[in-house]
Amino acid sequence: MAEKSKQTKKILMVGNPNVGKSALFNRLTGGEAIVSNYPGTTVDFTRGEFAVGGIFYEVTDVPGTYSLEPRDGAEEVAVSILHKEKDAIVLIVLDATRVERGLYLALEVVERGYSAIIALNMIDEAHDKEISVSASELQRLLGVPVVATSAISGEGIKDLARMTAKACKTDIARINAALEEKPDESVSTGGCGGCMGCGGCGGC
Amino acid sequence: MAGNFISEDERWDLVDRVSGCIVTYGIYRQSLRDVIGELTVVPLTGVPVAMAVLYAFWSIFGSFAGALMTDGFMVKLFDNYWLPWLQSVWPDPDGWLYFLFVGDPTADNCFEAFGMLTSGLFVSLGVVLWAVLIFYLMMTLLEDSGYLPRLAVLVDTLLHKIGLHGYAIVPAILGLGCNVPAVTATRILETRKQRFMMMTLLAIFIPCGAQLGVMLEVIPDSVGWVMLYLIAGFAIFGIVLDKIIPGKNPEILIDVPAYHIPDWNNVGKKLWMRTRGFLKEAVPFVMLGVLLVNLLYLGGVIQAISNFFEPLFVYWFGVPKETAGPLVAAFLRKDLAIAQLSAIPMTAYQMITSVVLISIYFPCVATFVVMLKEGWKQLLASVAVLICVVLVYGGLIHAIGILLGVA
Repeated sequence: MAEKSKQTKKILMVGNPNVGKSALFNRLTGGEAIVSNYPGTTVDFTRGEFAVGGIFYEVTDVPGTYSLEPRDGAEEVAVSILHKEKDAIVLIVLDATRVERGLYLALEVVERGYSAIIALNMIDEAHDKEISVSASELQRLLGVPVVATSAISGEGIKDLARMTAKACKTDIARINAALEEKPDESVSTGGCGGCMGCGGCGGC
Repeated sequence: MAGNFISEDERWDLVDRVSGCIVTYGIYRQSLRDVIGELTVVPLTGVPVAMAVLYAFWSIFGSFAGALMTDGFMVKLFDNYWLPWLQSVWPDPDGWLYFLFVGDPTADNCFEAFGMLTSGLFVSLGVVLWAVLIFYLMMTLLEDSGYLPRLAVLVDTLLHKIGLHGYAIVPAILGLGCNVPAVTATRILETRKQRFMMMTLLAIFIPCGAQLGVMLEVIPDSVGWVMLYLIAGFAIFGIVLDKIIPGKNPEILIDVPAYHIPDWNNVGKKLWMRTRGFLKEAVPFVMLGVLLVNLLYLGGVIQAISNFFEPLFVYWFGVPKETAGPLVAAFLRKDLAIAQLSAIPMTAYQMITSVVLISIYFPCVATFVVMLKEGWKQLLASVAVLICVVLVYGGLIHAIGILLGVA
């Protein structure tokens, strides 16, 4: 706690409902957010903190939302927190078993100019369902750090904490450019099929 | 900044391109949990399963909290040892201190004694603690397995008839544990109308776990009637509110998660957090409630209130005027109020009416505070609805009793 005065950064945990934000929050901060298996468990925000590499992070577990255009009361809470904290790092939590909807939200977040980092959560469940998601390729395409995690088993949590310092901004133009320059196919899509959980090795 | 934004279509297009590059799907194999997942949302099999789940929930609740812990251990401990001992060692049975802490010197059970150290301790630690413990355990299992959203899918059509969405079942089930988190959980509903309706209906008609626990003890044979009146009231006034409140009740898609075997660490943690919350916040409230009610009795305030409302109670609701006392306590803790009813002599039907009245009358002070957080206008509107409901429904229940020849 003595180091608190040195450097405190704010992190907002944002993602679709029921992707494991609260579970990840508890893992990161040792907090007591209620974790359940239904969308809409968190309807208010919870705060906690953790420290890594001499930096203190104040983490806010934000209610789940499908987009930044609020649809219900819990989503209104989420959007208003994001509005208030323009300089915060946004930790975008994706459900690896269904990344599409989460990516939509992720794009909305980076378009608004937030520094971002992505947790590709539920990676173990994706594995069980024979879905493989390449964290390193996602990192290359979006230009922000991506770490594969499982909040249930604790996999990838330390990497995520360490990588938080590398959170950065990106924009649509950059993502489009990355999509254009097809990398050596063998590494990015074909060859990476089996190496689940390698995320976090990253290209940084 | 506006220049950086892209349209919704462009964004989805980008999402498709990105996910196309990073996701590869293996061969889909139907697993057991997919099959179970399917069977529990299809009405043909889902409805019987839902009935079985809710029945199991209720009977485990009753047999563990009511029969095993409270009747099996706590009643014996408190009535055979604690109460006689306190009555024998506490000096001056006619003094006001005796009245406040031990209560009625002639009482032979801890429900009726109504002192801080007798009924206060017995209600909170002997009855309600076990009720909330087992309730929270089962609720946690429902939450963590992923069953709740499936229940929401099943009741969707039913709840749409009263202007709510299937997902309203989530705050309803949470409310059966405690109305406080349930009020906040109404935020998952989409429109202001739905949120207001659910918050109001839940504050009025959904009894909390503590209240249910005491009901099981005080009126074990007629809990079913009370629940029937509450559910019927929920439906009737739901339809009425739906008609008179402007606003929409749109269809939303319910996101049904995969089933999970609950993680026992998480179950244990939640159970501990919720039980600790109960011990820290509810127990002092029960004790203070007993103290306050006793002070009001000593000051003659409750007798004055009873006399003032006598016509309403006796002629309109058909219950003894003494019921006004528990109604004062009900604002602090409803479990306490129902315990207090047990000491008032009345017929079985009057008891049912009184318990329903305590349930639908003002929410406890903790619920009040969180309702205020959702907006004072909504709170005032809810209270207005509540007063109408109490007057209309209370009279209606009396009338039904007269028709049945039991009132």
